[in-house]
Amino acid sequence: MSADAVVIGAGLAGLTAAIRLAEGGLSTTLVAKGVGATHLAPASIDVLGYAPALVESPARALPAFTDERPDHPYARLSPRIVAASMDWLRERVPAISYTGSLDENLLVPTAVGVAKPTALVPEAMAGGDLRAGGRFAFVGLRALKDFYPAYLAENLSQAKLPSGAAVEARAVELRDPGDEADVNPLGYARQFEEPGFRKAVASELLSRVEPGEAVGFPATLGLDNHRTVWRELQDLLERPVFEVPTLPPSVPGIRLFRALRERFRQAGGRLVMGPTVVGADTRDVVVERVVVQAAAARPATHEARWFVLATGGFAAGAIHLDSHGEVWESVFGLPVAGAPGAEPRFLPRYLDDHPMARAGLAVDEVLRPIDARGRPALENLFACGAVLGGAEPWREQSGNGLALSTGFAAASHILERVS
Amino acid sequence: MATLQADVLVIGGGSTGVGVARDATMRGLSTVLVDRGDLATGTTGRFHGLLHSGGRYVVKDPKAALECIHENRVLREIAADCIEDTGGLFVTTPIDDPAYADRFVEGCRGADVPVEEIPVAEAIRREPRLNPRITRAFIVPDASVDSWKTVWGCARSAMAYGAKILPYHEVLRLVVEDSAVKGAVVEDHRGGEEMEIHADLVVNAAGAWAGRIAAMAGCEVTILPGKGIMIAMNHRLVNTVVNRCEMPADGDIIVPIRTVSVIGTTDEKVADPDDWDITRDEVQKMLDAGENLVPGFREARALRVWGGVRPLFQEKAEGTDTRDVTRAHTLLNHRTRDGLERFLTITGGKFCTFRLMAEDTVDVLCAELGVDRACRTAHEPLPDSEDRRFYWLGARVAAREENLHRDQLICECEMIPRRRLEEAMSRRATTDLDDIRRTVRLGMGPCQGGFCIYRATGILHQVQRIPALAANGSLLDFLQERWKGVQPILYGDQLRQARLDDWIFQGLLDVGHLPV
Repeated sequence: MSADAVVIGAGLAGLTAAIRLAEGGLSTTLVAKGVGATHLAPASIDVLGYAPALVESPARALPAFTDERPDHPYARLSPRIVAASMDWLRERVPAISYTGSLDENLLVPTAVGVAKPTALVPEAMAGGDLRAGGRFAFVGLRALKDFYPAYLAENLSQAKLPSGAAVEARAVELRDPGDEADVNPLGYARQFEEPGFRKAVASELLSRVEPGEAVGFPATLGLDNHRTVWRELQDLLERPVFEVPTLPPSVPGIRLFRALRERFRQAGGRLVMGPTVVGADTRDVVVERVVVQAAAARPATHEARWFVLATGGFAAGAIHLDSHGEVWESVFGLPVAGAPGAEPRFLPRYLDDHPMARAGLAVDEVLRPIDARGRPALENLFACGAVLGGAEPWREQSGNGLALSTGFAAASHILERVS
Repeated sequence: MATLQADVLVIGGGSTGVGVARDATMRGLSTVLVDRGDLATGTTGRFHGLLHSGGRYVVKDPKAALECIHENRVLREIAADCIEDTGGLFVTTPIDDPAYADRFVEGCRGADVPVEEIPVAEAIRREPRLNPRITRAFIVPDASVDSWKTVWGCARSAMAYGAKILPYHEVLRLVVEDSAVKGAVVEDHRGGEEMEIHADLVVNAAGAWAGRIAAMAGCEVTILPGKGIMIAMNHRLVNTVVNRCEMPADGDIIVPIRTVSVIGTTDEKVADPDDWDITRDEVQKMLDAGENLVPGFREARALRVWGGVRPLFQEKAEGTDTRDVTRAHTLLNHRTRDGLERFLTITGGKFCTFRLMAEDTVDVLCAELGVDRACRTAHEPLPDSEDRRFYWLGARVAAREENLHRDQLICECEMIPRRRLEEAMSRRATTDLDDIRRTVRLGMGPCQGGFCIYRATGILHQVQRIPALAANGSLLDFLQERWKGVQPILYGDQLRQARLDDWIFQGLLDVGHLPV
């Protein structure tokens, strides 16, 4: 197979880069062994939530943040690019209707009742914005073991918000129809797509919510017909309704994945899901093709002029630490920066800042992985997303923001070179 | 100060202590047991789960071997539900002295340990992952045993006979009057109150901590704390206990238990049973040892590492290597040893011999108190073991299949249904998720609580009606305890799992910013 560009990895970073390359006129193949972190993470775009104190405005905080952390991926991006990537996403997935901006973080409840900072959320999460306080009822679904509204509400009621506003929160446990004891978020999402089910839920709720309360559901409000489900519930309940992300599988993340996949296909992109990229052929400092291997099939190759590595971090298996302490990048064997060569690799307290956590690829100004001497390891290879070192996305609340903006930027750099 | 009166006060809630409490209560003595923490949180809950046939000790420590095989037979009768009858193999690996095998067989015959040599091909057929370069193989009646289940079985039985079992009650001082120990003052760590317990006789079953308790009565008992580390691997790499056919050494046993295999162990003298680390070198040593028994061992996922401290004892044993101290047990009657009445210390020994240790202790205790009643613990089964059916690997799956549509599965790895979890929370009356972990194995599987601990916290908040702040504390404590066990072995696929768990706890839930 031959294309102008090959993107490896189908998480938010890979999909973003692939769509942009295809829209930029390059024939683009996206190869991935499976879905990425979209199915694990909520679909909110967290750009920078903690630095390490609560960040109220990512736009204002980023310059100082990157000055102090020259190895952070954000230090390779201009604030303009980060903002442009957010506008771009908004336009590409209109059905999700992202709201928010870089200027001020929203604060949305997590499933344990922490007010979490995030820059951009799907419209259906925005009703849970806590910045101005308010009154909220959180809905428990009978057979869902992944959401505990009483625990959430009690924590949220004690939240100390920067505005000083108060949150009043309580739980409403539903006896929704059905007889299965154990239904996961995806199962509930499918049930909500049936008009009868959501009407039954709304009518039980109507008598139990109080005036002025916004209603928070676990993120299960439909999949392909999510917008209809969400709007109809708001109409039936005559009040704001919002979703709270909970344990994987992430229903909002699956919606985002599906919307981006559709966008990629519309742009003429070719999606190859299933095979693992097991190696690459390089000549001098140029990648000529990657070799992929599906379960029982013979190895195949994908040739291209440009390659984007969006394979994820340790969690995805893209960066590997073996039992002897050796660290490597799994497709190209690129050098990994920031990995401590000796103990301590991890510190004794779970919530500590662990030395190994920031290990990943170091990149040049245009996001090409560099070798120990600071030169591009391969001239036509660009990297984006969690494979990049220097960040601690979960502690910073920066995961999807990094994926989106570096994916966007990697594609931009390739398109600039093409033209 | 509140007071309590009993015939016997037992200090220490490990296997030996609960064994003594059960035996004494069954002989009609009113008994109180105290432990500074939860039951089975010292050495008992921190070993590899091997029910020894005695094979390991037949050459080096025949007295310990005799005790092991005797008690192996007894525990199979009384604690079947705690035991998986895996059988055991002793194999001569390429690094072992080939001459040892004959001495081993001779030792087994002498110690009455049933042994049978099988062809190497047969051993490999039974355990296909074994090192194909082994040269001899022997089968013995080793098995795996769940120490928590055993200890709680003894405790429940003792309570049914009227014993008071008081976890989280720490001894502050012993009451010594007229050259006799008359009881102890304890502090309730949960309620914060002090209490004086009067007893006709006090048994010090504090294991590796027995020296400290003895010192409170002015007696010098020098315990040699011998640390051993163990690593649980995420597969049944073997389904039979596999031992190296060699003098006891580091990392020479793999025990299949529940859904995992545990490799053990090391033996290193430490100064303080509460203060020691697991080092990178020890972990590497275990992984190398695993490769020798099961090639490819390093590629399997290491789930958790922990250490336990053996309470080794030998009168005048200074400067001894802990590997060379006997595994047989010692009962000290401080009346004859130190001139102090009504005070016994039981130490040394092994988990497998806890019942025998208890029997010996209660025999002497009865003699001291002038009571003449026979021990019955070798014949009366523990609760849930009455039908004498061994635990089997498919037990939880079978139970789950029966309730598939009627109950939620809260911990998928260990297959713990919601009702069972709620019942354990109510029965234990605890708000500590780590106590629940030991009771039902919550969060002990491959994901190490990544998915179930959020659920369990929500359920705990609901069932125990505790403030969210207390639930937050319990959640964070659990995550910290778990981290202690995974941090030294984070590599390969288990590091991937740990990062996924970080995404859930820190990224999705943001637990680092919970109010506490």
